[in-house]
Amino acid sequence: MRDAAGRRWIMGRAVLGLLLWLCLTAVPVRATTTTDMLGRTLTVPDGPMRVVSLAPSLTEIVFALGRGDWLVGVTDFCDYPPEARSKPKVGGSMTPDLERVVGLRPDLVLATAEGNPRDTVALLTRLRIPVFAVKPDGYAGILASLQAVGRALRAEAAAARLVRDIQGRVGAIRHAVAGERHPRVLYLVWTDPLIAAGPTTYIHDLIEMAGGENVVRERSVPYPRLGWEEVVGEAPEVILVASHRNGLERPPIREVWRSWQSVPAVRSGRIIAVPGDTIHRPGPRVVEGVERLARAIHPEVFGRMEAR
Amino acid sequence: MSVVEVQGVVFRYRTGRGVEDVSFQVSPGELLGVVGPNSAGKSTLLRLLSKVMAPQRGRILIEGRDIALLSRVALARQVAVLPQEFHVAFPFRVAEVVLMGRYPHAAGTWRVTHDGTKGRAVALAALQATGTAHLANRRVDELSGGERQLVSLARALAQEASILLLDEPTAHLDLRHQGIVLSILLAHHRERRGTTILVSHDLNLAAEHCDRLLLIAGGRILTAGRPEEVITPRNLEPAYGCPVTVERHPISGRPRVQGILNQRVLPGIAWQHSSDVREAGRS
Amino acid sequence: MDPTPFPEVARWRAFPLLCLAGILLLGLLLSVMVGSVSVAPREVMRALFASGTDAQDPAVAVVRYIRLPRAILAGMVGAALALAGLGFQAISRNPLADPAVLGVSSGASFGVTIATLLGLAGPFGNPAVVTLFAFAGALLAAVSVYAIAQVEGRLPITTLLLSGVIIGLFFTSCVMLITALLAAAELQGVVFWLMGNLAPVGRRTLAILAITLAIGVLVLSRHASRLNLLALGEEQALQLGVEAERVKRAVFVASALITGAAISTAGSIAFVGLIVPHAARLLLGPDNRRLVPASVLLGAAFLMLADLVARSVMAPAELPVGVITSFCGAPLFVYLLRSRQGGEAL
Repeated sequence: MRDAAGRRWIMGRAVLGLLLWLCLTAVPVRATTTTDMLGRTLTVPDGPMRVVSLAPSLTEIVFALGRGDWLVGVTDFCDYPPEARSKPKVGGSMTPDLERVVGLRPDLVLATAEGNPRDTVALLTRLRIPVFAVKPDGYAGILASLQAVGRALRAEAAAARLVRDIQGRVGAIRHAVAGERHPRVLYLVWTDPLIAAGPTTYIHDLIEMAGGENVVRERSVPYPRLGWEEVVGEAPEVILVASHRNGLERPPIREVWRSWQSVPAVRSGRIIAVPGDTIHRPGPRVVEGVERLARAIHPEVFGRMEAR
Repeated sequence: MSVVEVQGVVFRYRTGRGVEDVSFQVSPGELLGVVGPNSAGKSTLLRLLSKVMAPQRGRILIEGRDIALLSRVALARQVAVLPQEFHVAFPFRVAEVVLMGRYPHAAGTWRVTHDGTKGRAVALAALQATGTAHLANRRVDELSGGERQLVSLARALAQEASILLLDEPTAHLDLRHQGIVLSILLAHHRERRGTTILVSHDLNLAAEHCDRLLLIAGGRILTAGRPEEVITPRNLEPAYGCPVTVERHPISGRPRVQGILNQRVLPGIAWQHSSDVREAGRS
Repeated sequence: MDPTPFPEVARWRAFPLLCLAGILLLGLLLSVMVGSVSVAPREVMRALFASGTDAQDPAVAVVRYIRLPRAILAGMVGAALALAGLGFQAISRNPLADPAVLGVSSGASFGVTIATLLGLAGPFGNPAVVTLFAFAGALLAAVSVYAIAQVEGRLPITTLLLSGVIIGLFFTSCVMLITALLAAAELQGVVFWLMGNLAPVGRRTLAILAITLAIGVLVLSRHASRLNLLALGEEQALQLGVEAERVKRAVFVASALITGAAISTAGSIAFVGLIVPHAARLLLGPDNRRLVPASVLLGAAFLMLADLVARSVMAPAELPVGVITSFCGAPLFVYLLRSRQGGEAL
C-alpha cells in the first residue's frame, strides 16, 4: 500500500518541484543579438516590440515592412503613410524629446546617422534602451538600410522583397534612359541662398540614375552654396527645385531669372518643381523619387510633365 | 513803451517747481538783472522768454507782439541767448559756429547756414569784437573754457538781435575771462543801445552793472527796482534763507553783499569771521 | 585782414565730392569686371554697351544681368544705410549712432522670419512678399521706438536711443524664438538673410528702393543746415529759430524709412551707417550740407567694394557682405570709441 501511494506522492512533489525550478530559472523574455549599420551590437527582444522611430524615412520603412503596429512613437515630421500621423510624437528629428522617448518604454529605437544627434543616441544607450542606427550612404546605402531595419525587426523576408521591387523599378528606369543623352541638371534644395545637392548625397545618385548629369559633381561639400554667376557659368539645361510642402502652388521661376537667357534651362523654361519628400527621404519611396526626377529630366521618355 | 513785457506768466514743471504769476516790464536800452537763489525760476524765465517753452498761463510780449504768435525764426532775429556753457557735438570750427548765429537772417526756405557775404562780414566783426578772430579756423572742442565762451558770445553778437538774454555768462570762467566777457557785454550794450537781461547768481555782479534788478525766489517775484532798493538784508534774507550783510562798493557806490554763516546751523565748529561781520547773537 | 572772411569755410568744396564720385565709378567698373566667371575686359565693355548683343551669350547674362544690377543694388543700399546713419547721428548728436541701434534691422529680421514661418519664403514664395514683410517689420520697430520715446510731443534723444536698444533686443528674441520652429533649409534661408545678401531683386523692388532713397536725400538736404545747428544743443537750436521737434521727427521718419527699405531688400548689413558718415566727416568736416551728398557717394562706393571683396576673397564661395562690413567696422568703432573725437559727445 505504501509503495504506490508513496511513489505517486514523490512523483507529484517532483513534478511540482520541476515546475517551480523552471519558473524560477526561466528568462522572462527571449532575445536576439544583432548589429546595426554603424557596427554596434545590441540585443533586441523576440516577439512584438515597442519601436520608436527618430526619422520620417525610418517610419516609412517600418510601415513598408509591415511592422507599422509595432510603432509606438514617431517624429513630428513623420507624415507618411497617413497612419503614422496618429502615432504619439517624440519631437523633431534633430531635436527629439528624450523624456518622451523614454516615457514610451521602447524595446527598440531606430535612429539615423544623418540627422539624429549623437548625444541622444549615447544617452539612450546609457539608459539601456537599444538603439539601432542606419547610415544611408547613397542609393546603395538606402537599400542597405532597408535590409538592416528588416534584420532588426525580424522582417528579413519582407525587406528582401521590398529591395527587389525597388531595384526592379529603378532598373527599368535606368534602362529606359540608358540610350538618352544625359542633360546637365541643377538640383536646388533652396533658392535663398542657392543650395544644391552635391555628389556625396543620395540625391546625386538619384539624379544620375534618372538620367541626368549633376552640374555640381565636382564639389566636395554635400550641400554646396552657389552664386548666380556660377549658375550661368555651369549652364544647366534643367533646373529642379525641391518643394518642401505638399501642393506646388506656383512655378518656381522668378521674374528676375528670365533675363538670364544664356542659361539653357531658363531659355527653354525647364525649371521644374519636384516634391522634396520622396527625394530627400532615404526610404522606400525613393523609387517614386527617381521616377519623378526621370519624368522631369526626360519628359519625352516618360510622357508629358508639367513644365511651366 | 516797454520792449519786453511779461504778463501773469505761469509755468510749472512736473516736479511742481517753475514760475508763478510773474509780471514785469523791461524798458528799451535797459540792463536788467534777474537774481535769486537756486531753482528760483531764473533759467525758466529765460527759456520762456526765448520760446524754448510756452507759458501755461499768461503771455509774453516782445516789442508789443505776443511771442506765442511769432515764428521762432522771427523771434530769433530779435532775441539772442548766451547760454552758460556751450558744447558742440561734432568738430565744428569757430567760424562755422559763429556763422550759425546768422541762421535767423538767412533767406528762403532752403536756408543756408548764413546769409552770404553780409553774414560773413557780420560774423567776422563779431569775432573781432570778442578778440577771437585768430581762432577762426580752430576746432571748438580744442579751445579752453574761456575761449569757448567768447566764441559763444561772438555767435550771439552775430545774431544782431536787439535783445540779449544772458544766462550766467561768467559762471564757469576764470577771473580774466570774466572780465573780458563782461567788458564786451557792457560795451556792446552801451554802443548798440540794445536791451539786455542778465540772469546771475552772482549778486554783486548784477548789483554792480545792472540798471534794475528783479529778485525772484520760489518762482515768484519778490521785489524789483534799482540795485540799492533791492539789495538789502530785508529783501535778501527771506529770499536766500540766510543772514547777509550789505555795504557799499568803495568806487562805484553800488551795494555789495556778503552772506554770514549761521553759527547755529553748524554747532561746535569754530569759524573765522572777518572783522566786519556782526556777532552771532544778531540772528 | 583777409578781404574774404573765412575762405576755407566759405568756399564750397566741390573737389572732394568729385573724388568720391570718381571712386564710386571705379567701384562700379570693378564690380562689373570681377566675378566667379572670368570675363575679359573687352568682353565686359561689349556686353555693357554694344546694342544688339546676343541675349544668350553667357558674358551678357553675367555682366549685364547679374553683376551690373548687383552693383547698382549694392550702391543704393550702401547709400541708403549711410544716409540714414548720418540722419540718426545728427538728431541724436552722437557720432556713434547707427541705424541698427534704433531697432529697425531687428524689426526687419523679425518680419522675414515670420514670412518664412508662414511658408511664404523659399523657392515657391514670392520674394516681393518677403521684402514686404521685412519692410513692415522695420516700420513696426520704428513706430514702436518713436511711440515709446516721445513725451508730450517732444522726442528726447536719450530715451530714443534706449528705446531703440530695447525694441531691437525684443525683436531679436522673437527671431530666436521662431527659428526654433523652422526646418533646416528654412533656417539656412533666415541666417542668409540676417547676414546681409545682395541676391538679385525684381525691377519693381529696385525702383521702390530708388524712390525711397530719393525721398531720404531730399528730406536730409532740406534740413541739413538745421541739423548743423542742432549740434549746439536743442535748446540753443530752438533759440536760434530751428523748429527742433519738427526737424527731429522729419529726419527720424526719413532715416527709418530708408533703413527699412535698404534692409528689406538686402538683409541686415551692419556698420555701414556708422562708418561711412564718420569717414565722410573726417574727410570733409561736420557740415551736413556737404555730408549728405558725401555719405551717399561714399556709402555706395563702400558697399560696392565690400561686396566685391565678399565675392572674390573665397571664390567661388560667396561670403555674406555683412561679414566684410563688420570686419571693417568693428575695429574702426573701437578706434572711434577710444579716440577723442568719438568720445566727446558721450
